[in-house]
Amino acid sequence: MSTETSESAFSNYGLYTIRDNLELFMPNTEIKIERMGPNVFSYIRNDSESNLVKKIIPVKSDQLTIEISPIRPLNYPARRTSYVYLELETPVFLSENSAATIFARCPIEIGVFLVHDGHKDSLDCFTCDPVNSRFALYGAPDSGTLCKYAHSEIVESYEDSTPYIDAVLEINLQNELDEGHSVSKIIFPIFDNSVYYKDSKAIIDSIEAVLKKKLTLEVFDVSKKSIQTDWTLSPSYVRDMVVKSIDMGVD
Amino acid sequence: MVLDFLQSLSEIEIVGGLTLLSLFVGGIIMGVGIIIAKTVRLLFTKYYAPKLSQDTAKNFGKIIYFGIIIIAFLLFTSSTGVDLSGLLVAGGIFGIVIGFATQSVVSNLISGVFLMLEKPARQGDSIELPSLNISGALLDIGTFSVRIRLFDGTIMRVPNESVFTSTIRSLTSTPVRRSECVVGIAYKEDIDAATNVINKEIRKTMPFVLMLPKPEFRIKELTDSSVNIEILVWHPREDWGEVAPKLLKVVKKALDDNGIEIPFPQRVIWNAKE
Repeated sequence: MSTETSESAFSNYGLYTIRDNLELFMPNTEIKIERMGPNVFSYIRNDSESNLVKKIIPVKSDQLTIEISPIRPLNYPARRTSYVYLELETPVFLSENSAATIFARCPIEIGVFLVHDGHKDSLDCFTCDPVNSRFALYGAPDSGTLCKYAHSEIVESYEDSTPYIDAVLEINLQNELDEGHSVSKIIFPIFDNSVYYKDSKAIIDSIEAVLKKKLTLEVFDVSKKSIQTDWTLSPSYVRDMVVKSIDMGVD
Repeated sequence: MVLDFLQSLSEIEIVGGLTLLSLFVGGIIMGVGIIIAKTVRLLFTKYYAPKLSQDTAKNFGKIIYFGIIIIAFLLFTSSTGVDLSGLLVAGGIFGIVIGFATQSVVSNLISGVFLMLEKPARQGDSIELPSLNISGALLDIGTFSVRIRLFDGTIMRVPNESVFTSTIRSLTSTPVRRSECVVGIAYKEDIDAATNVINKEIRKTMPFVLMLPKPEFRIKELTDSSVNIEILVWHPREDWGEVAPKLLKVVKKALDDNGIEIPFPQRVIWNAKE
């Protein structure tokens, strides 16, 4: 369906139908799919750290269809949490009863899906930015929340994502408090946020972050907001996990 | 014929009004009671236990099973017409004797009950009993003993009383853990440069070390040959094995790659000129 490579050095996200073989190039990663027999293909992924993933894929027809798409950043180095900790490179100051909308970068991972009979089966997932795929703790060691950590840059629009490394996320900030506050970090469960792609760009469902008062506590209430877009929705790679939203304390 | 057989049983008296027929009926009651207890426990395990936590489900299962058995036993005694008052008096005296003899058994039983109520750790948690020098995953808190799967794969049975009176360190009840190591660098080396290269190497090669809280570096001691630096890193609780055993290796590599000397004790001996 799609061609093998785009104009850039790296392959695009999307559907690939393979009859004989296919090579896909991404930052620090290379994927090779080769025909081994009439109904058997081999899948080989090689990364910059010389990690090799090999799989054999038997198929019913004489061709193989895969989809390469951005997925939520929850699998590397291991699946430990559903929360993301975005530390904004530049804190945003919100004066009393004000609101602002920003676009920030949020890390992604790459999912490889096997497409057959209308199903999309998870075949493989990886990150093209292993050095920056790290965890952080929000809160105290005994009761805090383990999160996937990212140093997030504020950008201008949805078009500013880095291919295969991050996606752009719209954050609607609102301060309902009687005093101004700087927002320097946002912690939210990313499990409900869908990821969309177009060519090699990716975006994630928006979040709404409201600074407000709950009883005597000042909290930062973060919730998901679905976006309407004509970009392609990425299949979901991660397993179902029950998560609940947490209230961040206001620093 | 069956009636004749039962009639004959009712005429055989074993002791004090207890006939063979009543014993036979009592046996049937006990048998049916055991079957019902097992069936109810099976149904509970199949349909309700998955909704409860593992240890709560197990304890409820035991309560249901033994509760039905006790009820069946009471029915059995009432059907046979056995007067238990004499047995209770005798049992009281006998109980004191048995109590002294089975002190540790009762102690383990009661400790087990308290362990189940207090729940210092859940099934599957990794725990350490420093006073007993035991570390492993808690498998089960039983009636008399606790079963722990040690990290070498073997299973150890520890009496409940020992566990109850021991200090218990839970290794997996918090989301993160900290691992430490100490490394010595030569006095001539720049401490900030050394900590900087160690930090960079940890960040690059140890994906499970948390970005926040950041790795911490403390000057532990100024020893005879080296400045000892303590390195403290946090990681997810499940990933101790990916961090603690590898930390010193990563630290040494960082120092070696950057030409920072790790000294060893040296003694310079000056011989006086004759």
